[in-house]
Amino acid sequence: MRTDDRALSIQQQLRRSAAQRRRRRLVGHALVYALMIFLALLFMLPIFWMASTSLKAPREIFAWPPEWIPSSPQWGNYAEAFGKYPLARYMLNSAILVVANIVGGLVSVPIIAYGFARFEFPFKHVLFLLMLSTMMVPGHIKLIPMFWLYQKLGLIGTYWPLILPAYFGNPFFIFLMTQFIRTIPRELDDAARIDGAGSWGILFRIIIPLCRPALTVVVVFTFVWVWNDFLEPIIFLRDWDSYPISVGLAFFQGRYSVEWHLFMGATLVSILPILVIYFFAQRHLIGGLASIGIKG
Amino acid sequence: MKYRFTKKAVLLVTLLLLLLASVGGAAAQDPVTITWWTLASAESPEPAIRAVVEAFEAEHPDIKIDVTIMAESAYGDLMNTALGAGEGAPDIAYFWETPWLPHTLDITAHLEADPDLSRDDYFEEYFNNWAVWDGKVVGLPFTVGANFVMYNKDVFDDAGVDYPTADWTPWDYIEIAKALTDPDKRRWGGDRPRGPFRAIWRNIGATKPYSDDSATVDGYINGPDSVAAYTWLWDLVDSGATPTPADIEVLGTEGTGPVDLFIAGRLGMATLNNGHMITAANAGVNFGVVPEPHVPENERFVHAWALRASIWAGTEHPDEAYEFLSFWAGPEGQRINMEIGALMPSLPSVLADYPDAESDYFQGFMGVLNATQTAEWRASHPCWRGAVIRSVSDAWDLIMLGEIERDEVQATLDALVEPAQAALEECVPRLGG
Amino acid sequence: MLSAWRQMTPQERRGAKTGYLALSPWMVGFVIFYAFPILATFYFSLTQWTLVDPPVWIGLDNYVRMFTRDPLFISSLKATTLFVALSLPLKLVLGLMLALLLNLKIPGMNLFRTVFFIPAVISGVAVSLMWIWFLQPDTGVVNTLLSYIGVRGPYWFWDLNWALPSVAIMSIWKVGGAAIIYLAGLQNIPAHLYEAAEIDGAGKWRRFWRITLPLLTPTLFFQLIIELIDAFKIFTEAFVITKGGPLKATYFFLYYFYEEAFRNFNMGYASALALFLLVVIMGCTVFVYRTSGRWVFYEN
Repeated sequence: MRTDDRALSIQQQLRRSAAQRRRRRLVGHALVYALMIFLALLFMLPIFWMASTSLKAPREIFAWPPEWIPSSPQWGNYAEAFGKYPLARYMLNSAILVVANIVGGLVSVPIIAYGFARFEFPFKHVLFLLMLSTMMVPGHIKLIPMFWLYQKLGLIGTYWPLILPAYFGNPFFIFLMTQFIRTIPRELDDAARIDGAGSWGILFRIIIPLCRPALTVVVVFTFVWVWNDFLEPIIFLRDWDSYPISVGLAFFQGRYSVEWHLFMGATLVSILPILVIYFFAQRHLIGGLASIGIKG
Repeated sequence: MKYRFTKKAVLLVTLLLLLLASVGGAAAQDPVTITWWTLASAESPEPAIRAVVEAFEAEHPDIKIDVTIMAESAYGDLMNTALGAGEGAPDIAYFWETPWLPHTLDITAHLEADPDLSRDDYFEEYFNNWAVWDGKVVGLPFTVGANFVMYNKDVFDDAGVDYPTADWTPWDYIEIAKALTDPDKRRWGGDRPRGPFRAIWRNIGATKPYSDDSATVDGYINGPDSVAAYTWLWDLVDSGATPTPADIEVLGTEGTGPVDLFIAGRLGMATLNNGHMITAANAGVNFGVVPEPHVPENERFVHAWALRASIWAGTEHPDEAYEFLSFWAGPEGQRINMEIGALMPSLPSVLADYPDAESDYFQGFMGVLNATQTAEWRASHPCWRGAVIRSVSDAWDLIMLGEIERDEVQATLDALVEPAQAALEECVPRLGG
Repeated sequence: MLSAWRQMTPQERRGAKTGYLALSPWMVGFVIFYAFPILATFYFSLTQWTLVDPPVWIGLDNYVRMFTRDPLFISSLKATTLFVALSLPLKLVLGLMLALLLNLKIPGMNLFRTVFFIPAVISGVAVSLMWIWFLQPDTGVVNTLLSYIGVRGPYWFWDLNWALPSVAIMSIWKVGGAAIIYLAGLQNIPAHLYEAAEIDGAGKWRRFWRITLPLLTPTLFFQLIIELIDAFKIFTEAFVITKGGPLKATYFFLYYFYEEAFRNFNMGYASALALFLLVVIMGCTVFVYRTSGRWVFYEN
């Protein structure tokens, strides 16, 4: 009896503490949500302001006190922005550049990283450090010499200067992919080798299919970088029909005034593709970035 | 010792060229294609540019124009890069930077032989300041631009203040600005200059930051006239009748002027330009135009500009390039731009047909087009803008931020003599003048 | 190299050959896209070059001037160092805190992750212009909000003391990018370690210090290097918003480089500046790398 009593009371206690824990977790969740929502609002405030401005009439933009939500939203601003400037064309150009760069990254990065991750050869460590150090070179340094070279090659005004580098491997991606491949057990390689696969067969049949998370990082980051790149298209392109959206947005800054309402709206539209890509890729993305922390 | 970049670098990259040579086979081109880089703006929009090219090609079937329209923010970097690489500059472009000028083609003979166009067709000040350099004609002035004071008549009426007249002084400006200021309405009377040694500086008497022979800054940036001009600025800032640099910076674009604030009725007077003038007119603002204030005994200066349309010295088709240049920057091209866009031509005979030419504000604007321009001295002293002004920008910032007292202006400027002199001595051997 | 090669077995040689072959695209790219422009920049740094005229050889003069008589070099170095010192620790710590929040397993987290990532992926002139507006003293959002609670906000970008912090705030707004990488690191920490600690009675705080932080140090190390490089390269904000002012408070190194190279036609000197920056960044990276043995822990 006594032992039963005790068992019962323990059970009750357990049940009570479970309920308590549930309640505490609920309160905890509510607090976390409140904090997250507050932070999210804080982070979104600039974006919200852009959206609000994009719906204002030109005269309202500089009114004081400022209007948080325009009393009569000018949805026509968006149509005006797209009618006045070939934004769709610019976004298409950006998309072409993005795809070409992504293909370049997907082709070159796994091969190079495979070399670093799976083979031993003299000067490997030095080469790896050299590769990492190229991340530190400010882009501005390269402008004049590269312009000169591309001019000699007749590539100015074409997309080649904006695409070619991707086919020779971006150092950040090579680093990431090398780390990722190191997490793949070598036993898989050995098993495939016993089945008669050569070095390249292992890469294409074993390694690359397992690298999907890291390849997602290549895709998403390339997308973001190429979509936002401003300096190089300006220097290397000529025809304004060929400009990507990042440069196309600069046309909203006129000689004498900025069409703020159109500019803000166009900027918002221009970031939508990035958001969509990110939202759908993020689960893989985090898996792909996880290998950063392993010992190199 | 002199090394040419090209020779050195050719050695450096021969291997690369071998690697990539197959990619870059240059195709033989039509011998009379003229390449041209231009800008699109509200004054000269893309349809106007295309229309000019079409009209020209109809008249000259043997010349083809390959036009590239660029964002203004990219233009300077591109020209620098192309001229720097010694390759790939267009036959025709706007050569607005002084260091680019040696790379322009001397078209004096072309213009003299031209039966349809002469230098007398242009506003004299604009031609002399923007087409002539080193005694040669190096381009043609395309469009006119100038700074002047725009005043909002509604704001003046509201405050019960008389409209300004052309004979006003910089000190009148401060008094009027004070009278117009109304903190409750978040309204300022006037704006502040956007840099030293512009027109109003000269109107006060402080002509230049350094001597004509580019040898010394002492006695110039810290001379009595310069102190007077900076003190005037100090008084203006102290009056509380002007928006802070923060307001100006956000509301103007790239420092061209707070037109948005002016249109919103929150600025009674503003030193703006003809582009802003059209913007304000289109927005239905009731405004007038007067020249910038000056001291009666001094000569009146105006800060003015044109786009210097020039031919690149490296062109292979100078004659054909001149044909198009004189069409674009001559009466035909500027008229098409005026009719399709809102360009203000640099030719008085064409500008007379401007749609708003009879209006009150436009007449005020015409009044500044023949005034002496500040550009003359600056064009021959390329160190003026970058190196020297940058080294004295601290004085400007200190006054703008209200960080120094009125009687500290002289000492502040004296303290800048040394760095400014060093900047001048570093710059002059490089850029000359 | 040859002796190393001779000591290898034929099988090892075959592996090495495959390795070099795999690396060959990168090697070619390195020569074209990095070695060539850096060597060219080094050559320019020994010349006086106005960009539009041929370079003139002047030996080490640019470097002599840089180290002995250039107040702007000092100003720009100071502004950049201050910025790095201010933004780097903040970004590392806040990024980690945000990642810890985003790592909580509650519904809807994917949406939050996207929200915080947005600032990190939008860039360019529009964002800088938007910040001008956002921190504008008169009609800007922040000061309007502050005025509701009776606070007169500062002039932000146009205030002597606030200009640099304002730029740092802009960069902290982009902390979501760092948080994503931390998040990846957090998810890498084996759950059994936490379970074991919980059984031992370790509280949340203790678990963070004893498990999370040590196991996150490799990610932290990577992040530190990436953010360090990034912070030194700060440019756009000065270019679009502050123009280096007021009183050189935001006169960042790359902005100085840009002004010299493309505005003042002083490409030779600008090249020397650029190489100096490259050396500084590499120096800092090597320093961090050297110290990493003491504070970076790898599992197993």
